[in-house]
Amino acid sequence: MNAAPVPLLSMRGISKNFGAVEALAGVDLDVFAHEVVALVGDNGAGKSTLAKIVAGALTPDAGLIELEGEPTTIPTPAAARSLGVATVFQDLALADNLDVTSNLFLGREVRKGGLRDDGYMEATARRVLDALNSRIPSARTPLSTLSAGQRQSVAIARTLIGDPRLVVLDEPTAALSVAQTAEVLTHIERLRELGLGVILISHNMTDVRAVSDRIVVLRHGRNNGTFDAATTSHEEVLAAITGATVRRRPQVHALR
Amino acid sequence: MSRRASAAGSQSSLREANRQLVAETVKRYGGLTQVELAEATGLSQATVSTIVRELLAAGVVDTVATTRSGRRAQMVTLARRVGLAAGIQIGHRNLRVALGDFSHEILAEQTLPLPVEHRVDTTLDRVALLVVDLLERVGASLDDVVGMGVGVPAPVDSGTGMISVEGVMPGWDDVHLGQVLSKRLGIPVYVDNDANLGAFAEATEGAAREHADSLFLRASYGVGAGIVLGGQVLRGFAGTAGEIGHLTVRPDGDPCRCGRRGCLDTVVGASALIEAVGQVPGVASLRDIVQRANQGDERCGDVLAEAGAAIGSALAGLVLAVNPQVVVVGGELAETGETLVAPLRAALERHVPTNRIAPLEVVRASLGTRAEMVGALALAVQSTDVPLSVDEVVDVAGLG
Repeated sequence: MNAAPVPLLSMRGISKNFGAVEALAGVDLDVFAHEVVALVGDNGAGKSTLAKIVAGALTPDAGLIELEGEPTTIPTPAAARSLGVATVFQDLALADNLDVTSNLFLGREVRKGGLRDDGYMEATARRVLDALNSRIPSARTPLSTLSAGQRQSVAIARTLIGDPRLVVLDEPTAALSVAQTAEVLTHIERLRELGLGVILISHNMTDVRAVSDRIVVLRHGRNNGTFDAATTSHEEVLAAITGATVRRRPQVHALR
Repeated sequence: MSRRASAAGSQSSLREANRQLVAETVKRYGGLTQVELAEATGLSQATVSTIVRELLAAGVVDTVATTRSGRRAQMVTLARRVGLAAGIQIGHRNLRVALGDFSHEILAEQTLPLPVEHRVDTTLDRVALLVVDLLERVGASLDDVVGMGVGVPAPVDSGTGMISVEGVMPGWDDVHLGQVLSKRLGIPVYVDNDANLGAFAEATEGAAREHADSLFLRASYGVGAGIVLGGQVLRGFAGTAGEIGHLTVRPDGDPCRCGRRGCLDTVVGASALIEAVGQVPGVASLRDIVQRANQGDERCGDVLAEAGAAIGSALAGLVLAVNPQVVVVGGELAETGETLVAPLRAALERHVPTNRIAPLEVVRASLGTRAEMVGALALAVQSTDVPLSVDEVVDVAGLG
């Protein structure tokens, strides 16, 4: 085993402006394989902007992105997918009129001899749902009959199609009941056990501290501390989010 | 979705296999409509409908009217005789909730990961909400619940339902757990130590069911033991019996959360094990160590083997004191099987004189990490008087 492992994803000095709005100013983020990193902060702290940059939906104005040590750019969502980065946004982007399998393969249907290979896709869907220990009865269930929690399960399962390295989850437990939250948090633990890197964006400090290894706090588009989830109290993280403490920037930027 | 293959079968054996498949599927999902049942089992709608009718007549399942996407549908759940009970295990890093009936059949269960040092108010709130969510999943309500058992990783005074040693669960000391939950949900709540519940479950329906005297060793984030003598759980006057996690094994060791030094928990507890494994990428929790050991990682395996030996030495005194027929090893660490159990057994053999009449057995918990939750469920059932139906009363009187 390597003594100093290379991060799966390493971001240095990421900046993004929208006109006069400074969404991100020199943000650093590392995610290792087999690790859940929570990204927390107030509304407008830049969490979702950073997630969109990782997902290829936005391009940064400045900064360096490395995937497993290789400098790279993520210009489009398709590029992110081919680099092994899968993202679940808050709106989930699922099609209500289709069944679970079709949703998992939406936009990347598997073909065999010019025809859709439905048998293969359904078997894969089942395998992925089982890998998450999901409670969805059938891969043929129409999305419209599923609960909010089950939809989130489908959205998370979709990230596993195409064997990703990194999964980004934007507020996966918002507006879910406790039982559904339990299901989603269990899925996140499974993703980690499968050896993936996970970026978890959430407002709920209890959920964040339950499943993450490290907590990265953003405040006004800047890093405001990185915490070890197992040894940091609720109060310390909250203090960093609200700016009650002034913390030294954790690292000098690679690019500045 | 594969239909269960029925090898060389007569029509009746096929029907029987299908009946079983439907019953198992209902059990797995808690409650689901006939349409969903057909999809989940791969059987035709007509077959499912026939089987559900048969199972309903046989009293195996219940049906409740519900709606799915605006249409009326029949939700199928397992039949509940007399009433429901809830079993809760509050752990250091997760919460398990189960609903069961009086035959100890689990109808629905759910695990929720919890943060380190989770707060008593948030956690109890989530317990209450999870119970209600699960009830909804099986088509029942709080009115159907006769009682709830709760297990916590700390010694509990069963009279008051409060934690009897200060500092073991910071912030939980002054909360009357049973009363808070009972008031919130309007049902009787019984609180006990998780190792006692595991011991009870393993003694009644697990690895120790053939024996009257057994010890349950719970190796998890901390260590604890439950004692069953003559089929009864021995709790002591205020619940601290079997708390070997706080037995001093290194008089000048690290400080323990109980306020003393060198307790067994400071040697084999989660943080001690993580420290012993050292800086290995991807190993940050107890679950990681267990997972790695099961994948053949030597470092993690060695750390667990050492822990097993240390636990065995500490357990020897308790084994001598109560002379059990079997030691059942449960908790997360027992998921590694013989990696933990073999050195534990060896240490016990070294420290305890061999009993010629009944050599001590050391086995893994057959209920796995669910033992404590099953025990909590059993505690709730046991603490409730079962109203017998009219003819059963007559039968009992007749046999009298």
